[in-house]
Amino acid sequence: MSQAARTPLAGDALDAALARLLAIGTFAGVGLLAIGVGLMAVAGRSPLDPKAPFDLGRLPVDVMAGRPEGVLWLGLLVVIATPSARVAASLAGFAMAGERAMVAVSAAILLVIAVGVIIGTALGESAA
Amino acid sequence: MIVGLAMLGAGAGAGLFGSLLGLGGGTLIVPLLTLGFGLPLRDAVGVSLVAVIVTSSASASVFLQRHAANLRLGMTLELFTATGAIVGGIVAFALDVRLLAGLFAALLVYVGLSMVLRRGAPPAEAEGIAAAADDDPPAAGAALDDTAREGPGQGVAARLSGPGYRVHRLGAGVAGSVFAGVVSALLGIGGGTVKVPLMHLAMGVPLRVATATSNLMMGVTASASAVIYLLRGGIDPYVAGPTAIGVFVGASIGSRVVHRIDLRVLRLLFTVVLLYTAFQMARKALG
Repeated sequence: MSQAARTPLAGDALDAALARLLAIGTFAGVGLLAIGVGLMAVAGRSPLDPKAPFDLGRLPVDVMAGRPEGVLWLGLLVVIATPSARVAASLAGFAMAGERAMVAVSAAILLVIAVGVIIGTALGESAA
Repeated sequence: MIVGLAMLGAGAGAGLFGSLLGLGGGTLIVPLLTLGFGLPLRDAVGVSLVAVIVTSSASASVFLQRHAANLRLGMTLELFTATGAIVGGIVAFALDVRLLAGLFAALLVYVGLSMVLRRGAPPAEAEGIAAAADDDPPAAGAALDDTAREGPGQGVAARLSGPGYRVHRLGAGVAGSVFAGVVSALLGIGGGTVKVPLMHLAMGVPLRVATATSNLMMGVTASASAVIYLLRGGIDPYVAGPTAIGVFVGASIGSRVVHRIDLRVLRLLFTVVLLYTAFQMARKALG
């Protein structure tokens, strides 16, 4: 699709919407990490303490209890998920504009990331 | 908590100088965490990937707002950087840590020598969170009407082109993107060192657009491998928290003062630091 044929949504408006999404994701993630670091200080935790394992099942409980590891993991998840959210939003924008090729590209990127999640889950924690 | 503050400060320093020197945070964070805080190399790479995502998301937001990045080209190439990052993320846990340290030492030597040889060129790895985009010409031989080297993928390339330039050599872009993704996942860097020259010199994308587009791509690339690091226990939240905040703050400051600082002396000083760090990493590699 040529530049001229693009609808406004797939052009400047999409760029602006994605920019807002990235800014919100970044500030939300960094904000949660800052709260988590504050909770670390209150709890007397050091970065050199034994690593807190990632457990998605425990995450809501840890966050509600104000445990530093819970808030930190939530912040990290927001940070890591923000680029994928940008891709998902791009997919929606391209779909609304009828840019099928870019819809396919966006979907393929999300598929690759999903494959990474499946592989990481299947391999489990490294012994090294 | 002193260690936490030190880590926050180290992250801020890495973000600040990474932004000033165009290295991105990752190149400095990994040696800082391994040599300075005794963190295992793989854990340092995992933390560095988180920092790369934070700085990429923040800077990509600015670049998109200013319409400086080529979204379609970036997304097409990040399909391949993400694939490379998945492969690199898997391989990283299979490789001997000493080999990883050796690869990182080689990267530092390359970056250090590039800084010496660079003469006022814009940074390749990351331009900083508030970097401005302006017009600049495509690479030599990559003008809009240059069709001599276009192959069968010219229809796709034309769709990915932007105002005033035409993308070509998409095959080279795809291969280079996979390589950039693997390197990013193995060493915890954004991969701009590979992607910016690739887009600018091989694909005919203007340097400013290539830099902005590379920044946009770093987030997805790093998050693809960060997911593997996270699920395999390669990210320590107690380290990632203060370091990522520090990098975010440092990079934000750096991008605001970069145009007011004479970088020549700083670049020379950091070349020495990078080469010394490369020596230490090489020692680690040799056990």
